[in-house]
Amino acid sequence: MPLGLFSAVPTAAEWLPLVLPLLLGGAAIYLLLPRPQAYPKSWGACLGLLAVVLAGVLLTRSGTVSPETLLFWSFSALAIISGALLVTQHNPARAALAFSLVVLSTCGLFLLLAAPFLMAATIIIYAGAIIVTFLFVIMLASQSGLSDADDRSREPLLTTITGFVLLGTLLFVLQHYHNRMNETAQAIDRLIEQTQEVAALNSVAAMDEEVGKPGDEEELFNQFKKLFPWDDLRHKAEQVGRDWSGINRNDARAIEQSRVRLDELIALAKTARHRLGWLPPAEDTPFSNLSGPPPTVEFENVRRDGHGLPRMPADNPAYLGRSLFGDFLLPVELGGMLLLVATVGAIAIAFRRS
Amino acid sequence: MTALPLHHYLVVGAILFALGLIGFLARRNLIIMFLCVEMMLQGVSINLAAFARYRGNLQGQAFILFIVTVAACEAAIALALILMLFRRKQSLDVSKWQDLREPGEEPTEDVEPLPPAPREPPLPHLTPSGVEPEHRREESHV
Repeated sequence: MPLGLFSAVPTAAEWLPLVLPLLLGGAAIYLLLPRPQAYPKSWGACLGLLAVVLAGVLLTRSGTVSPETLLFWSFSALAIISGALLVTQHNPARAALAFSLVVLSTCGLFLLLAAPFLMAATIIIYAGAIIVTFLFVIMLASQSGLSDADDRSREPLLTTITGFVLLGTLLFVLQHYHNRMNETAQAIDRLIEQTQEVAALNSVAAMDEEVGKPGDEEELFNQFKKLFPWDDLRHKAEQVGRDWSGINRNDARAIEQSRVRLDELIALAKTARHRLGWLPPAEDTPFSNLSGPPPTVEFENVRRDGHGLPRMPADNPAYLGRSLFGDFLLPVELGGMLLLVATVGAIAIAFRRS
Repeated sequence: MTALPLHHYLVVGAILFALGLIGFLARRNLIIMFLCVEMMLQGVSINLAAFARYRGNLQGQAFILFIVTVAACEAAIALALILMLFRRKQSLDVSKWQDLREPGEEPTEDVEPLPPAPREPPLPHLTPSGVEPEHRREESHV
């Protein structure tokens, strides 16, 4: 584990923000699940809304408010609230409508994630075809009055605990990983700044003093070595450190040579900075570049847009088609086969022998 | 303006997945159980789309298309099964099928009675206003 993901002891700052939204959300779902003697709906609704707001504030903090963050918050709040409605709704027809709201807000998130073709496809397939079929079945199987199926839940307490323990685990791992990545990234950034300051000095003696003695814990190269979670970068940093000590201090060009070494160190640190959170596949794995830069391309070599995110291909449907019929030709054929088999199977199951 | 971190989208995906899981375990209506499974798939799709975005690669989006395909197959088969099960027991309640449980398991019994169904208000009775005019019999053209 390069980042020590499972070795470190969780800090209070990591698990404290999770507890309150999870407890409130669990209580809300428990109160709202259908049962014969139902609790007042308003209690559950208030708790649930409070949990969503708290989760938004504590878990998805973001420094700036921009149209993107506003859209993200509204789409995800809509998705989560209508998801909760789907789970707790008595009437199956209303549950189906809540599901279509979940799908629509997920489609909004897809648009934010630069996937317009998927948005259109999901709306057409889910909100169009599947919801209509569900409503058709609900109409066929509609019953009058209350029924056991709609007004009772199986083990509401146990299922709520199961679901929220799973959610807590997922969120905790996410939070932990996020924080740890941030810590390492900030430390690397600080060291890069420090190195740039050293490189700006104009005498080798001053540089030597700033860098520290070789073998010392606080020496610049040693600090980098400790910080890098990757062996190859660690060896390279060590090599640069040795080259640094090998420079002849009395040479007239010593200062240029030192700057070259420091620049090498900065380049290494930048590589490490971009590698954080990157799990590379084996180097000889064959990948095509039909669907964007293949996963073997180092992260810092990916083209970026103005926000520092990787640039997506502009023509989404065309590139998706290239990817599907280039990289994924066999899976596409298998998917078509699966659809055919499912159609035949559905007809065979639902066929009524007279 | 900075872009949202990947972490935010993963949180939303995880919440949708967990809600779907709770719904699938707790609800007894077959249709709602299947809707909850579809919601879990939506949570997974958000994850894939977010990873695709933050890698600049379309493979995640291609995976979502396969998820959608399999979900469509699943919906077709599931609805056919639900129709067949409904024809057998005249109910969408999964607990009607608890004869299929493991040998040692206790059966689920509903002890708490359902509350009486709310009485529907009677249809309004409209008094005829005025006198109904005499209709002229039209002759058939056939």
